[in-house]
Amino acid sequence: MEAIARLIAAEAAAAAEAGTTTGDGLTAMGAGLAYGFAAIGPALGIGNLVGKSVEAMARQPEAAGMVRTTMFLGIAFTEALALIGFVVFILLKFA
Amino acid sequence: MLTAIVTQTGDQVQVRLVPSETTDTTMPEAVLMSASAEAEATETAVAEVKTPPNPVNPAQNEMLWAAGSFLVLFVLMRYFLFPRLKKGTEARYASIRSNSEGAVQVKADAKTDVAEYEKALDAARAEAAGRVDAARQTVDNERTAQLAQVNARIAAARAEADQKNAAARAAAQGDVAAAVATVATRVAELALGKAPDASVVNAAVASTMEGSRS
Amino acid sequence: MIALKFPEINEILVWKELFPSFNKISLIAVLAVLISSALFFMAGRKSDVNEAPKGSRNLAEIIVDFIEDGVIMQTMGKEGLAWTPFLLTLFLFIYLCNVPGIIPFFQMPATARMAVPMFLALLVWVVFNATGIKHQGVGGYFKSVLFPPGVPKALYILVTPIELISTMLVRPFSLAVRLFANMLAGHILLVTFALLSEALFQANDKILIPVGILPFIMLVFLTSFEVLVAFLQAYIFAMLAAVYIGGAAHPEH
Repeated sequence: MEAIARLIAAEAAAAAEAGTTTGDGLTAMGAGLAYGFAAIGPALGIGNLVGKSVEAMARQPEAAGMVRTTMFLGIAFTEALALIGFVVFILLKFA
Repeated sequence: MLTAIVTQTGDQVQVRLVPSETTDTTMPEAVLMSASAEAEATETAVAEVKTPPNPVNPAQNEMLWAAGSFLVLFVLMRYFLFPRLKKGTEARYASIRSNSEGAVQVKADAKTDVAEYEKALDAARAEAAGRVDAARQTVDNERTAQLAQVNARIAAARAEADQKNAAARAAAQGDVAAAVATVATRVAELALGKAPDASVVNAAVASTMEGSRS
Repeated sequence: MIALKFPEINEILVWKELFPSFNKISLIAVLAVLISSALFFMAGRKSDVNEAPKGSRNLAEIIVDFIEDGVIMQTMGKEGLAWTPFLLTLFLFIYLCNVPGIIPFFQMPATARMAVPMFLALLVWVVFNATGIKHQGVGGYFKSVLFPPGVPKALYILVTPIELISTMLVRPFSLAVRLFANMLAGHILLVTFALLSEALFQANDKILIPVGILPFIMLVFLTSFEVLVAFLQAYIFAMLAAVYIGGAAHPEH
């Protein structure tokens, strides 16, 4: 949902730019694609990670606290990749 | 390429840098409003409006303000606020601990009291049980004695009756034997022509009766 | 159709200066400091030791307990409790900088400007390196960072550059970017949906007006999502700082 919304924002921004040159359009498109592709891997990763964590917590509820902490750490590391894609998107648009 | 657009209104000068491709030379409304608002508020003649920079670039002034305020907060927290809060918390924990220790003491005292009471109760119970046992013993003894007496009486009565019985039976047996002997003597006298010896008849009768009885 | 022009990202992030060098971001940072020190000042007042904590003291103790049990005990263990003031400050400051993103009239998380997360990430970088050097000495620290034990000698050709980059560059970079990009993305999302629903509500075509309720619902949903994100990002930042500091202090973990 978030990713789609971000893409819409990117495309809207790209559309706003469309009045200018082809180069700008390509940059905008590349920027949007940069984020879109960057989000694929982390999306799979986070889904897998959280799913497994829930499984672990269900199997061993007494270890839930530890699993949750580790899960958040893992999410933070995995998510960083998607966010770097987002930053690249901004850099492409403004650099 | 950037183009600077300078607008002068009265004694206010507004400067805006725009990409040269853009044909729009008017101020964005929000920027205009804020600029004039600031001009009114601070009464400065010049309001600066810069081109928005790249959003990823860290702005120096913001960084300085953030760093300054963070460090102030950290120093306050480290040397003043946090130790003070922690002291209050520790005081409360200590009071709770001492309260709970007092409670433990009271509980132990109560337990001793309960133990003493139970000891007394046990003693009283044992005494009562002893008394009951003794009473029961007495009653039992009496009952056994009386039973024995009654049994003895019954046994005596039975023995007496048996004796009478046996005597009666012996008398009856004697009568029967005498009658049988008489009959036998008479039968023999008729058969033999002479009276048999009484002792032989008696022995025969006795042996027959013994045999028939057994 | 509707006339809708989304502003450039940099336009929605730049604020006029209230006085030279002091803009909305600085205002939020200063307010964060004022609010948290006011809270802890009120919380630190004398209180009856026989009563359960209430009001500001209760809140402050919940936050402290959260930092001690939820962050430090999970990552550094008991010997990390001395770091409570630092991580507490970090958490409070980041949280109070994040939360204005959804507070009306502020509507801007201070951490959506690169300056704030970058400073915090650099600070954490300095702190964990300094902790490592203090606990293990310069040589010991760099040895444990660059040559992690338990790796076959030949693999150091591969491992050492990776460790150098990941510890010295990627750590502060990802710390800063994670916080910044999360908050900026949230802010852009809110702006997008707010503009969209505004444009639809004011559309000339009357049929479009009720459609505006859809982005508005999304806006409400995203606002509540941002409440969670504001907390989560502060928590993750504090926790990663704790992990880095703990790892530098005790390399065997």
